[in-house]
Amino acid sequence: MTDRTISVDYLARVEGEGALRVRIHERAVDSVELAIFEPPRYFEAFLRGRSYFEAPDITARICGICPVAYQMSACHAMERGLGLSIAPEVRALRRLLYCGEWIESHALHVYLLHLPDFFGVPDAIHLAKDHREVVERGLALKRAGNELMTVLGGREIHPINVRVGGFYRVPARDELEALRPSLANALYLAEETVRLTASLSFPDLENDYEFVSLRHPDEYPMNEGEVVSSRGLRIPMARYDEEFREIQVPYSHALHSVRRDGGSYLVGPMARYANNRDRLGPRADAIVREVGLEPVVRNPFRSVIVRAVEMVYACEEALRIIDGYRPPDRPYVEADGALATDGCVAITEAPRGMLYHRYRLDATGTIRDARIVAPTSQNQKRIEEDVRAVVERSIDLESEPLTVACEQAIRNHDPCISCATHFLSLDLVRD
Amino acid sequence: MTVAFPAESPPHGPPGTRLVIGIGNEHRGDDAVGPLVARRLRPILMDVARVVEADVGGAELIDLWTGTSFVWVVDAARAGGPPGTMYRFEVGKEELPASLGSTSTHGVSLADAVALGGVLGRLPTHLVIYGVEPGHLEMGTELSHPVKAAVEPLVRRIEGEVRSVQGAVWAEASVGGPDA
Repeated sequence: MTDRTISVDYLARVEGEGALRVRIHERAVDSVELAIFEPPRYFEAFLRGRSYFEAPDITARICGICPVAYQMSACHAMERGLGLSIAPEVRALRRLLYCGEWIESHALHVYLLHLPDFFGVPDAIHLAKDHREVVERGLALKRAGNELMTVLGGREIHPINVRVGGFYRVPARDELEALRPSLANALYLAEETVRLTASLSFPDLENDYEFVSLRHPDEYPMNEGEVVSSRGLRIPMARYDEEFREIQVPYSHALHSVRRDGGSYLVGPMARYANNRDRLGPRADAIVREVGLEPVVRNPFRSVIVRAVEMVYACEEALRIIDGYRPPDRPYVEADGALATDGCVAITEAPRGMLYHRYRLDATGTIRDARIVAPTSQNQKRIEEDVRAVVERSIDLESEPLTVACEQAIRNHDPCISCATHFLSLDLVRD
Repeated sequence: MTVAFPAESPPHGPPGTRLVIGIGNEHRGDDAVGPLVARRLRPILMDVARVVEADVGGAELIDLWTGTSFVWVVDAARAGGPPGTMYRFEVGKEELPASLGSTSTHGVSLADAVALGGVLGRLPTHLVIYGVEPGHLEMGTELSHPVKAAVEPLVRRIEGEVRSVQGAVWAEASVGGPDA
């Protein structure tokens, strides 16, 4: 009677397929295993032998939710390795494209995947029955993000307009101007989202996270910056491998990332906000003050507020970029030097956190080696620790409500399991 | 250098239009069946329907089909049959299997989108979903033989259904059942 196992065979409302096992002995948690059983997707193997030029489009297919992030990390990695410098106007457009992805990805998670937990309903369909206006607001926000991605990306999901060196085609001023009304409305809706989420009641739980994100001298980080942590780490992107490593765990198809000393860390909105609170724009800053959001959020359930704040930021930043936009003289630059390099490294801030790409190219520009570390694999160990913390404080609950609490602990971090499954050696699969 | 964007219109078409959506990831084995069918249908149906290929989640589907009367969705769907098996569901006439769209990796599945669209009053008047049972879904692989063999029959069948729509009326007699 003293042993029990909490099992969730299919995690709902997360991206991809995963399962959870929690073993409890007496009144203590024995083990927590977040198993990712989607078949590994061997993206790195798929990339080997392809031209450097194909990497943005191929890697964009890794995830239907954050294709821009994969394109951005791939482009920046290649450009860094090939020594290409990007015009400031192109850089601004990329940031604008990233704003679109943040808005649409956060709107999806906040409204359709996460909010049902706080309204005590099983899913967004039930939420829509009782609070239609809430779900419609989420869809409207998501649409605003999609529109931005359509104009810049050429296609709303899986943008095809992005290339190494810039864009195939850049928008005219009036094309971006046309987005203003929808973005201004989205900004208002995002502020309402902060007010709504800040008014929810949250379980009383604080975790001691090591928050890891990019930090830029004067911007809230998206495409550039140093890697920093809330415990004092500060390194250039190229030194990522010295401070972070990947380990295999026997129960999952995805690798776990850990710090050099084996400890967990957290990437994503909570980490970005904790490390860059002072880089928010005026509207995001104002709404943070209005609702009294703490400067560092350690309660994982309150990540829903942070995502909402980041939506406000992405909307105001998009409007700011559109205001100052002038088309670049050339939409892209091309590599004209030597192609052989192992210096193709980049990290950008995907909606779910840092996305690391590293490539090695031969003299023909063919990819000889590729390494991709997705945000969810970096968060996996920390998510397990979150689940443990939730179980420990709720150990007397019946199994059913305890299971619900565990699922919520996972959803707090918006894991994208399909992103996390593409880099495993074959031997583990047959386990 | 210029790039040719796919022939897609903005998400909201005028009411009464016909729309075919092929869902899936073209680099992921049999998951490519939706986009491939859409790509075949685009030139064939140019005069009568909008055809979209997309690797999208359920939430985007609702925006895509809102305001359109007749919609066909093609997706890989696991329902237990041998690879290449074709399934046809007409929303509102039969229960959708919950697993529908679960080969995609999104938090909101096709079945969720249909349910959510229903609650929000944002479903097409006629929504037909074609599922094809996948053999394999590994990244970097091509269509399996049985699924490849299913493409042309599916293209012809959907073409027939799309063309059978007269104005706002569906010529029911010309629409085959699941075993046709």
